[in-house]
Amino acid sequence: MKLKSIFTTASLSFASFSYAQEAPLQISGSVDTYYKYDFAKQPNIGTSFASDQNSISLGMIDLALKKTTGKASFVGELSFGPRGQYQSLINGDGTDDNSFHIQNLYAAYAFTDKFTVTAGYMGTFIGYEVISPTGNYNYSTSYLFTNGPFQNAGIKGSYAFSSKVSLMLGLFNDWNVYKDLNGVSHVGGQLTLSPVEGWTAYLNVLSGKSAGAVGTGTILDLTTAYQVTEKVKLGLNAADYSVTHDGGGYTGGALYVQNAFTTAFSLGLRGEYFNWKGTGGDSDENVLAFTLSANVKAGGLTFIPEVRFDDSSSAMFLKKNLNPSKNASQFSLAAVYAF
Amino acid sequence: MKIVVMCLCFFIEMSSVFAQERKEPMLSFDDKGKYIYYEVVTQQDKSAEALKERAKAYFRSPAAPKIQFLTQDSLWIGKGKLIINKTAFVLTRPSGEVRYQLYLDFKNGKYRFWLTDFNFIPYQRDRYGNFVPATSIGIPLEQNPGKLNALEWASYLKVTAKEVQLFADKFKQTMLADTAIAIPTTKAVPVQVTKDQKW
Repeated sequence: MKLKSIFTTASLSFASFSYAQEAPLQISGSVDTYYKYDFAKQPNIGTSFASDQNSISLGMIDLALKKTTGKASFVGELSFGPRGQYQSLINGDGTDDNSFHIQNLYAAYAFTDKFTVTAGYMGTFIGYEVISPTGNYNYSTSYLFTNGPFQNAGIKGSYAFSSKVSLMLGLFNDWNVYKDLNGVSHVGGQLTLSPVEGWTAYLNVLSGKSAGAVGTGTILDLTTAYQVTEKVKLGLNAADYSVTHDGGGYTGGALYVQNAFTTAFSLGLRGEYFNWKGTGGDSDENVLAFTLSANVKAGGLTFIPEVRFDDSSSAMFLKKNLNPSKNASQFSLAAVYAF
Repeated sequence: MKIVVMCLCFFIEMSSVFAQERKEPMLSFDDKGKYIYYEVVTQQDKSAEALKERAKAYFRSPAAPKIQFLTQDSLWIGKGKLIINKTAFVLTRPSGEVRYQLYLDFKNGKYRFWLTDFNFIPYQRDRYGNFVPATSIGIPLEQNPGKLNALEWASYLKVTAKEVQLFADKFKQTMLADTAIAIPTTKAVPVQVTKDQKW
């Protein structure tokens, strides 16, 4: 009887394997964990994710499924852990602590080789950095990332004019919400340019009035990356976000320089200037941040030792004795495994 | 239970024996120290022009790998790529691609082809959950990946050698066959008129 069940299981496994070869379901994901130590012993630098002071803390486990059948495809990406729940997602129904855990959930249809329509809940098209730790070079994130949108639910159409130019236009919900309380309220677009091999630039715009906002918010964003040589890569992100009726916003720019010394070891520096626009007569506040990270790769595992120094125009940080301070510095070590 | 355990041991033993016996394809080094797959094939009864036409038809057919030919004069030079998939049982995902150069040379009664300049481009998942090239400039497969990545690099080499062998076998087989290379066309669906039909 047992022998029979073993053979049955083996046959079923083989059958599913054969089917998978025909139309494979892609399963991928990542796991990340980190340790952070702020030299003033305060959880000072308040960007996303690497937030816990003197603690070996969790990032998230992220699981993504993708399937393509002919011209249709879907992506479903679930995340569990602080990074993938309350640090990057709103609650599922907005009434309790439930979360749908969803980072991406969309379906796409390629009408032609050049034109694709996508609908659902998607990672934002704005900005350089992303929620998944495998998509970022530095482990701690930029102010531009933290203050910008994380996800945009909506429907968008992308048309590739050539291999060098494409355009996306779409209608979207408010930032980072599964459902829009004031109707589909945002319009957005992305012009993608690839003038030479290795250089891609994205010109992005997203505008609309969010539920409860004082005015219409418009974000203009430039994200570009250039692989200069086999070893050297440059990146730039610049953005301006303004809300009408004195609703504030921000302006900022971040420059990324990375050098791969070997296939297993590289160093990268991020320099960022970020300015919060004052509201109600308050003056602007800005911060200058430098982050030096190393990436040490061993198979699917990447270790990211990192030092970061932030200098602000106002005393937005704390010293050891809890007095206000204009600067903060920290060390962190993260381990990210991609599968 | 004993029978089950014995059967499993037998299967594992047999599969390891077969695995040892199976010859893994390997790439060679050329005189510049680059990986190469090189082969000269004799087809006495075919002229150079006939061989060229056959090769052209093959690379136009959907069954052939997509090769972007830069020149198709006396020496054909083209660029191609193969996807390296990481597979564990029923799970699979692309971990990168290997880009290569293909050279083809035809003479009366024979042709030769070689694949070289293998460069690995790792993939990373983008913000929408799709796997995309992490860089535009590849790492030559000859490069020493260091101790930390040696195992993974060895698997890329192994897959590349296997895929190149498959490419070569298929190409040679097609060149040898006398039948026309089928380019699929839309099949006409037969129409049956049922209106006003007596039954």
